[in-house]
Amino acid sequence: MQRGCELTLNSVTKVYSPGTEAEVRALGNITLNVEPGEFLSVVGPSGCGKSTFLQIAAGLIGASGGQVALDGHKVNGPPEGLVYLFQQYTRSLMPWRTVLGNVEFAIEGHRMSRAERRDRCMNFLAMVGLQDFASRYPWQLSGGMQQRVAIARALAAEPRILLLDEPFSSVDALTRSDLHELVLRLWEERGFTAMLVTHDVDEAILLSDRIAVLSHRPSQIVETIPTELPRPRDRIATPELPAFLELRHYLLDQLTKRPAHA
Amino acid sequence: MLKRAAPLAGIGAGIAIPIALLAALEVAVGMGAVNRALVPAPSAVWTELVAIISRGKLWAPLGDTLSLMFTAYICASVLAVIVGVIMGRSRAAYNLLEPLVEVIRPLPKPALLPPLILFLGIGNEMKLVIVGLAVFFPVLINTIQGVRGVDPVLVDMARTFGYGPGRIATRIVLPAALPFIFTGLRISLGLGLILVVVAEMLAGTGGIGYLIVDMQRSFRVTSMYAWLFILAALGFALNFAFEWLERRLLFWSRQQEKGG
Repeated sequence: MQRGCELTLNSVTKVYSPGTEAEVRALGNITLNVEPGEFLSVVGPSGCGKSTFLQIAAGLIGASGGQVALDGHKVNGPPEGLVYLFQQYTRSLMPWRTVLGNVEFAIEGHRMSRAERRDRCMNFLAMVGLQDFASRYPWQLSGGMQQRVAIARALAAEPRILLLDEPFSSVDALTRSDLHELVLRLWEERGFTAMLVTHDVDEAILLSDRIAVLSHRPSQIVETIPTELPRPRDRIATPELPAFLELRHYLLDQLTKRPAHA
Repeated sequence: MLKRAAPLAGIGAGIAIPIALLAALEVAVGMGAVNRALVPAPSAVWTELVAIISRGKLWAPLGDTLSLMFTAYICASVLAVIVGVIMGRSRAAYNLLEPLVEVIRPLPKPALLPPLILFLGIGNEMKLVIVGLAVFFPVLINTIQGVRGVDPVLVDMARTFGYGPGRIATRIVLPAALPFIFTGLRISLGLGLILVVVAEMLAGTGGIGYLIVDMQRSFRVTSMYAWLFILAALGFALNFAFEWLERRLLFWSRQQEKGG
């Protein structure tokens, strides 16, 4: 299994419509290093530019200033080895393809036989527990199952770094808990680097090694806190640890004491 | 049972009206209330229709009309989809071509027949061009609209998996825009059939449109109505085939809407 890769953001800024009345300074000056194999979460108040931040890291949009690098190579467009898990799973799946067809999309550019590709994707579907739904269509599945299809597709590309854009925010609480466990297990098994953007403090602590706290726009990283909780994490026992509660208290305090966004 | 029978009863009532009208016409002609030279009895038209088919006289004109129409329909549609995808994806291409499109598009296409006959004569080239022009624009406009409506999340998703612009166009944009493209194709199917018949009437040597005019000019009125009936049946069959194809290719679009 290849190791996760290192993501570096160096003085990254983003300004929308610069020099006009509609100018918006989304990102202030962000410097962040995500270690190989690390699980890092970025939390911040809503509207603070978390998604912009992640899209710049993924090379989907360009930064106004500063540099993004993956293992020291400058990111100009979506780099190889990086996969992005979208918040809007319903919109990121192709309704005209079956579940298996959606997963196969991840590796259709790769040189391999049809049978080999099919087998590989079936394995990843089995990993998320959807092997019996391979020939269904995404719109025949529940929201949680659709997000699992998107996760299987992401894994099929054998990512060295996975960027997660609030991927658990639009499912019910129990499904979310199942998805947390799934992502924790897959991350531990496969050793990729993960960066999660979320507004859910509990989720961030449960999953991460470190948590970066973003300020209001123009966002900057206020502080980066190691969670220092033992692994493997357990979705029920871990949140009951005193260290978890202490960190939760501190983070919520930090996030709520800031002045309301104008 | 009752619920299942209800729609069939509805169709039965709908079919009853034309049958009743035909029966009334038959009686009227039999009583001499209508000039038989202008409006023959439906039974006579039916006999003529059977004669045309049984003597094998249907296939050559039908083949003429269909091959002309489908050659133009397919070529113009493929071209319109390609241009539409480019115009929908590229702002520069759109700005470059949009004024030209807006000049030609609103023109009623039959008005172009006289100049086209000047340039291309009355052969197949002229008919292919006029049918192609009628087909091209509805497909183009709907393709542009469909391409612009493609969810950017899908495009971003493909980009993160390393797909370049060309493969995104064929694997994401084209299928996602297909429901709109089919709306254009459906409009164009009707327009194509109209234009092929008009072109044949004006400058034909064969084909169903030509025959309808030819029969009228030689006062073979019964035959004229028989060919009109054939044309109506052709339009019905084309529409039926189109709906079948649409159901097979766009099942996911309708299902998705139902699912919310």
